[in-house]
Amino acid sequence: MSAFRLNLRDGVGTNLSDKSISFSFDGKSYRGIEGDTLASALLANGLSIIGRSFKYHRPRGVFTAGSEEPNALVTLHSGGRTEPNIRATEVELFEGLVARSQNRRPSVNFDLMAVNQLAGKAFSAGFYYKTFMGPALRGHKATRFWWVCEQFIRRAAGLGRGTTIPDPDHYARMNAFCDILVVGSGAAGLAAARRVAASGVRVIVCEESARAGGALASSPDFIDGEPAREWSADQIAELSAMDNVSILTRTTVQGYFDDNTFFAIERVTDHLAHKDRTVPRQRAWNIRAKSAVIATGALERPMVFAGNDRPGIMLADSARRYAVEFGTAPGRAVAVFTNNDTGWLAARDLAKAGVIVTAIVDVRTDIEASIRVLGEECRATIHSGSAIRSVKGMRGVNGIVIATYNELTGELGADSKTIACDCVAVSGGWSPAFHLTSQQGGKPVWDTELQAFLPGDPLQKWHGAGAMAGEFGLAQAFRSGEEAALKALADTGVAMPKQAAKIGSGPDIDGDEIDYAPAPVFEINSGGKSFVDLQHDVTAEDVRLAHREGFVSVEHLKRYTTLGMATDQGKTSNVTGLAIMAAASNKPIADTGTTRFRPPYTPVAMGAIAGEKYGHLAAERLTPMHDIHVESGAGMYANGPWMRPETYNLPGETVEQAYIRETKAVRAGVGIVDVSTLGKIDVQGPDAAEFLNRVYTNGFAKLPVGKARYGLMLREDGFLFDDGTTWRFDEHRYLMTTTTAGAGRVMEHLEYYRDFVWPDLKVALASVSDEWAGVAVAGPKSRELLKVCVKKCDVSDKGLPFMGLVDGVIADIPVKIARLSFSGELAFEVYCGAHWGSALWHALMSAGRKLDVVPYGLEALSTLRIEKGHVAGPELNGRTTPHDLGLSGMVSSKKNFVGSVLLQRETFSKQDRLQLVAVKSLDGQRIRGGSHLVAGSKDEPGISQGHTTSTCFSPELGCYISLALLEGGYKRHGEKLFATNPVRDAHVAIEVLSHHMVDPEGGRMRG
Amino acid sequence: MANLAEKLSPLHELAMPRSGSDKIILSERLCDSLVQVQAWPDSVGEVEKLINGTRGKRSVMPTGPGRWLIDDPAEGLEDKLRKKIGAELGAVTGLTHARVVVSISGEKATWVLASGIALDFDLSAFPTGTTQVGHHHEIGLTIHRTGENSFDLYVFTSLVRSFWQWIEKASAEPGFSVV
Repeated sequence: MSAFRLNLRDGVGTNLSDKSISFSFDGKSYRGIEGDTLASALLANGLSIIGRSFKYHRPRGVFTAGSEEPNALVTLHSGGRTEPNIRATEVELFEGLVARSQNRRPSVNFDLMAVNQLAGKAFSAGFYYKTFMGPALRGHKATRFWWVCEQFIRRAAGLGRGTTIPDPDHYARMNAFCDILVVGSGAAGLAAARRVAASGVRVIVCEESARAGGALASSPDFIDGEPAREWSADQIAELSAMDNVSILTRTTVQGYFDDNTFFAIERVTDHLAHKDRTVPRQRAWNIRAKSAVIATGALERPMVFAGNDRPGIMLADSARRYAVEFGTAPGRAVAVFTNNDTGWLAARDLAKAGVIVTAIVDVRTDIEASIRVLGEECRATIHSGSAIRSVKGMRGVNGIVIATYNELTGELGADSKTIACDCVAVSGGWSPAFHLTSQQGGKPVWDTELQAFLPGDPLQKWHGAGAMAGEFGLAQAFRSGEEAALKALADTGVAMPKQAAKIGSGPDIDGDEIDYAPAPVFEINSGGKSFVDLQHDVTAEDVRLAHREGFVSVEHLKRYTTLGMATDQGKTSNVTGLAIMAAASNKPIADTGTTRFRPPYTPVAMGAIAGEKYGHLAAERLTPMHDIHVESGAGMYANGPWMRPETYNLPGETVEQAYIRETKAVRAGVGIVDVSTLGKIDVQGPDAAEFLNRVYTNGFAKLPVGKARYGLMLREDGFLFDDGTTWRFDEHRYLMTTTTAGAGRVMEHLEYYRDFVWPDLKVALASVSDEWAGVAVAGPKSRELLKVCVKKCDVSDKGLPFMGLVDGVIADIPVKIARLSFSGELAFEVYCGAHWGSALWHALMSAGRKLDVVPYGLEALSTLRIEKGHVAGPELNGRTTPHDLGLSGMVSSKKNFVGSVLLQRETFSKQDRLQLVAVKSLDGQRIRGGSHLVAGSKDEPGISQGHTTSTCFSPELGCYISLALLEGGYKRHGEKLFATNPVRDAHVAIEVLSHHMVDPEGGRMRG
Repeated sequence: MANLAEKLSPLHELAMPRSGSDKIILSERLCDSLVQVQAWPDSVGEVEKLINGTRGKRSVMPTGPGRWLIDDPAEGLEDKLRKKIGAELGAVTGLTHARVVVSISGEKATWVLASGIALDFDLSAFPTGTTQVGHHHEIGLTIHRTGENSFDLYVFTSLVRSFWQWIEKASAEPGFSVV
């Protein structure tokens, strides 16, 4: 191991085991220790440049030790598992991990794109907006110039690249309900969890890290006489053993939504070398909590100074954590630069872990003696009232140049002093991590003493605790955790005994007592390139430039400069950026305001959002005869949610050949088709007849028992809504059929009218679409077929007249047979219980064998109805009325019905409305669906006079035909036009016909 | 109702018995009688009495105001109830073929169900013997808790294959058997 790995001992490397593991970075093998993150292992191996920056391709190293990392983004794995932009600080090391740097050509150490730095000014704030408006080149408009530039800019800028190879992993979801959710398991979260768990309510604790305990894992303090990390481990073990507590580690709460719903991602197997394929990679949790304690801590923020993006510069507490938790020295010689006491604590702990701390540079002059002692403990030279003027080194830190600093004026002195170091640990204060509560709307409030925004007033049932609520320090964390717990318990309505409702004194704490409030210093402006947002390469000068250009609102500032808009969402840059903006505006930060955080808290894999729906988007609805269709060789395709047979192709047959053959067979003999997908609604009750009479345009009050009737439904605005037949089983019981696609919306429509408009009617509605299997038997030999197999009923013309309905038995299956025709031929619809559907199909095929029965699919079904001129979905398109489709005879003038008033609008009587016609191809060309009907040639077609709706080849007419909607179409039969479809390069000569192309008198179906 | 044809489950071989972990036990069955009863608003109490008066081994599951789903281990319940209740009190709808019952039991049963169904499966919120109506994405479900770790899920027949594929996948993590 390199010189950066410290001597592991008690209190140094607390996160590590003794197991050595290998991994690779940019193709080279390295070794780490179990418990390392990728970042700590890379640092331990002496790697300081981990990535390249977004715009300027500047070398960047590890900046933090957590999910707020802006710099050390890597691409993990390969092939379908390739995942870009992953924070090395969060990647748990495992045997064989493959990682590589990104946004560099050819390598992270030698990146040709670093030439972008030479064009720094060209890439300043809003550069792409300015490029949009850039100078016009000869022959180019300005926007064209942008198009030229765009491809180069996009190639040069960016982060990692994803993959188009399908992700082989699977993801899962979980819905959880609890009384109280505790987000964060540090001191405040633990205190809250202990208190609420003791009351017996259901508790879920979410912890982002691999181990619960939060900052206690690396705390130097003692609690109840034990090191903090051991004390917290005991507490967590106790909580874990409780039946009413669930602790979710590696689980980041990403979003806080209405009704106290939280969205969290659990990284289930990301940290494992060998993954069980039955276990999901990640699990998305939807957690509904009656109340929540948000104890998400605070994020350290940097100060901005010239050269502050050099590899080797990191946040002070992160440097401390690398030493304490991961036994890794962030540098051989560390200089601490701070504006608050916590920087000194970091220096002390670094030194205690064995790291050389060369200097502590504090912008303050007024530093407590107890804090100065910490500096003396680590033998660092102390420079109070000083600040960093510049950083030495191009690809890393060789040293820093410091100067005296006036905290009040923000000015550097003329003096300068160079301090040798290879790491600068910076602390600019702490920003409470109230991202979740900001998402749900509480407006943050600026705290002048803490120099930080604090969460605003709750709009839902949550209570902040610990540093997240501005309560810094262990004692305050425990106290505020308990307070929040009691408030959360009150939200749940749990009755608490008086004694139990008191705040306890908390555990004994033996630790540092410091002031967490920083000096209000955010930037040391010495003129060099100073970065505010490290991930998006936004400099302090960019912020000032934006202000000069008029972007004075923080919302505009964010969008113009892209400050805080990258994958880290500005976790380390937002407050500093606002402070610089406020200074430029000469306004207090409180008046400058802040932007609202949005979910997710950290980037989320799309797979985790898709969950188990990965690979298919919707459940497939299958008819009872589905397997028969598949076994028969039918091509199945999705028709809405249903899978339906397209055609039953014979060997070598095309779809068109198959449906023509099937259609001919039906017209000449008999065919059967699966119509189980039709919507079916059971309508019952003493007022069922009246109800149907009100929702259909035609009369249903007097439909006799044992008969069926075709009906039309309108929307309230008079347009056609749906159609179908309704069968009357007995005095008070009906079966309504709807179109396949319309079943759901018709049910909603009917329920609305039953429940809200006519609640006085006694009508029950139940979806029975899945109760019945349906087979249509169509063709001149259909009755012959039924006669072979039907028992206990008469299917003769007398026994079962057109629109009649009988009960019978086929192959020991009780059936209902209605004489209906969608094809225009003599036809019957046979319904039975769905679980008998396959048996019924087999029985009908068997009965029809001697009649050469054929099964036919959706294409032939459609062809038959187009030839007959029956309308379906393409004609019931929401813009047609019964008058437009030749169905005026179906509209009763003797009653009111839904849509009857607005159907009388004058516009619906106009003769130039689009009206249903048929067209046939005159030149043998196929007519495309959606073709426009025009009078002109292909080159000059003229304006559209209508369009085709349903098209096919008609075996009956021997040509391509289509139903169409044509302006004033009823009076234009015989006219010759063109069906033009420029998208498909089609311009077909057509003749307008009546839509009743086959058997217009209806003799066949009534015969 | 003698000599009826044999019903065929839409799950076919998908739900064939398989041995595996006992953390989850899956099975399917077709109902002999599954009936929905909807009482008119002014006759809810009367209909409830009529239903409960003939309870026997059947499961009576409230699924809405004045509405019950009744699963009976004998055929013919629809006709019996229709005669008993009549149109003046309510409506009786046969759903015997409209649903397939998928049963799940085992120590991880609630965990598997919670992974796809946004209901609170804690015993305090969903006690044994009670029923909840929910859905798994676009698949509507009536869920009857038959024990601390056992549930009957009444799944729409046309969607049961998709549902079964999901529940097998969700059960794969703890491990499962099919009986």
